Amino acid sequence: MATVTYDEATRVYPGADVASVDKLNIDIQDGEFLVLVGPSGSGKSTALRMLAGLEEVNEGRILIGDRDVTNLSPKDRDVAMVFQNYALYPHMTVADNMGFALKIAGVPKSEIRSRVVEAAKILDLEPFLDRKPKALSGGQRQRVAMGRAIVRSPQVFLMDEPLSNLDAKLRVQTRTQIASLQRRLGVTTVYVTHDQVEAMTMGDRVAVLKDGLLQQLDTPRRMYDHPNNVFVAGFIGSPAMNLLEVPVTEGGVKLGSIVHPVKRDPLAKTGDKVIVGIRPEDLTPASEGGIPVEVDVVEELGADAYVYGRTDVGGESDKQIVARVDGRQVPDKGQTIHFVPKGEGDHLHLFDPESGERLGD
Amino acid sequence: MSAVPTKTPQPGAMPQEKGKRDRGELGILISSHIVLIAWSLIVVLPLLWTVFSSAKTTGEIFSGPFTMPHDIIGTLKDNFSSAWNDSHLGRYLLNTVIVVGIALALVMALGSMCAYTLARFPFPGSRAIYYLILAGNTFPIFLAIVPLFFVLKNVGLLNSLPGLILTYVAFAFPFTVFFLYPFFRALPAEIGEAAELDGAGDWRTFVQVMLPMARPGIAAVAIFNFLGLWNQFLLPVALNTNEKNYVLSQGMANFASSAGYEVNFGALFAGVVITVIPVLIVYIIFQRQLQGSLSAGTIK
Repeated sequence: MATVTYDEATRVYPGADVASVDKLNIDIQDGEFLVLVGPSGSGKSTALRMLAGLEEVNEGRILIGDRDVTNLSPKDRDVAMVFQNYALYPHMTVADNMGFALKIAGVPKSEIRSRVVEAAKILDLEPFLDRKPKALSGGQRQRVAMGRAIVRSPQVFLMDEPLSNLDAKLRVQTRTQIASLQRRLGVTTVYVTHDQVEAMTMGDRVAVLKDGLLQQLDTPRRMYDHPNNVFVAGFIGSPAMNLLEVPVTEGGVKLGSIVHPVKRDPLAKTGDKVIVGIRPEDLTPASEGGIPVEVDVVEELGADAYVYGRTDVGGESDKQIVARVDGRQVPDKGQTIHFVPKGEGDHLHLFDPESGERLGD
Repeated sequence: MSAVPTKTPQPGAMPQEKGKRDRGELGILISSHIVLIAWSLIVVLPLLWTVFSSAKTTGEIFSGPFTMPHDIIGTLKDNFSSAWNDSHLGRYLLNTVIVVGIALALVMALGSMCAYTLARFPFPGSRAIYYLILAGNTFPIFLAIVPLFFVLKNVGLLNSLPGLILTYVAFAFPFTVFFLYPFFRALPAEIGEAAELDGAGDWRTFVQVMLPMARPGIAAVAIFNFLGLWNQFLLPVALNTNEKNYVLSQGMANFASSAGYEVNFGALFAGVVITVIPVLIVYIIFQRQLQGSLSAGTIK
């Protein structure tokens, strides 16, 4: 068990002009579950592979504990990885797959067996130890891949989208299992995913990457409540936050026909326009006044419903808006509803239209 | 949903259509089996005829090529002992096993290592090397006979088994690499990386992880090489003229030609049986692996 430090770590692929991972700085604490999340091409997998030693670090350093592992080969780093496609050895039994690393390390056979059986117990794999991966279901294969990592009791677990090949139901189930297993074992874990729900539900902290640059590193709660910029605001949360470019007026921002009050300080830093971010659950229907929304689609989820509609706001026409409404009072398609933000602007996020950075706290 | 227009068959029309399809399938089944039976006969009958003829005397063969042998055990014994001892087929069989066995082991070891390296480790010039090896496939062996003769003569390996082994290795190498290259290329990179993280070095990754995964391809090319080298005639005739070092194909040719009109055909057929049996045994052993190679693409 150990801390992990990315210190200005940079990876430029040969022949590429732009760095895939650009001066990444992350301090991961001992036993922490850190999730790297971002859209495809954001460099999250590359960052993980740099830590694994599968990808060269062109600049900067990577430390595991106090050890500088930047130039160490993967086998000398004491890390175990779970791959997206599991990468099980197809010609070996489950037990051999899990014990392969120990066998190479020269651990006595009896000890390998006992450690494999112990890991198999944790993962409910005991009946399958003598099977080949071919004879296992997707979920079982995923657990073997996990088992292969656990058996080694490494300093760091690396997981590269380990759930993306499972069906939706199993994914949700396994998500919880992995998170609780990690808490139980207390091994520092770096987890890569493109799914922001996984990021929010599993991580102690979440790092959002885009184009190789770290956008924000925070707890899921803080990430949701205080996105650092427009990208994080739009990426974290499902359905995504509404981002509207609206005029700044005396005393607040103009949302359709009303002026919504916001604090003066943040607005002082921007010009006559500002990007307002409102989460779907922070919008509420009003009898009149506010943002007029023409309803396109209503997604009913039982308790709640999401209203997808279009509006003309701040000079933009047909801008899509998502709002959460009571599942028992659902509007009809084609109907026009007025929405206003809930409360006094404390759930409103303000961003600079030029830089996209957050204004205020 | 009910508005979606679908072609619903009338009740009662279903069984009829099904019957039609069944008849069509039955027709295909019958005709394909007729073709398969005919094909099997074409392949099996000459083999059976050879085996039967090896239990007949020359006179019997000429008087009734398709009659049953009279004294199976006795003639069989005579023919096989004549082929084995008088024509030195036993010695030639041993030579062939040595030459083909060692050459096959060498070419499989070298070929798989070469294909693995070319397929998985890009280095400057690797493509050029690969294409050069591919070009070796297209080179007609006839053109190389005379130069090969002089090369072997100059290094003092002409008419020797090691010389023939070396030649066989070089002869089979390009095809082996050509055939194994896509197998190694298709193996998922993550498995190599997983082995690396598990602490396996390059050599262990190759031997314990990659090689077993490419086993269907290796079995297929091994059996192909075995057949090709076992039946090789041109190279030994040109490069291995010492009768002591003859391989089976040379021995059989010698057997048929040296006796002029006095050929002991019963013994000749016995010789053919001796030549064929090892090939059959090898094929039966590798058959399961070969079937694996056909379905390997579907296993994820």
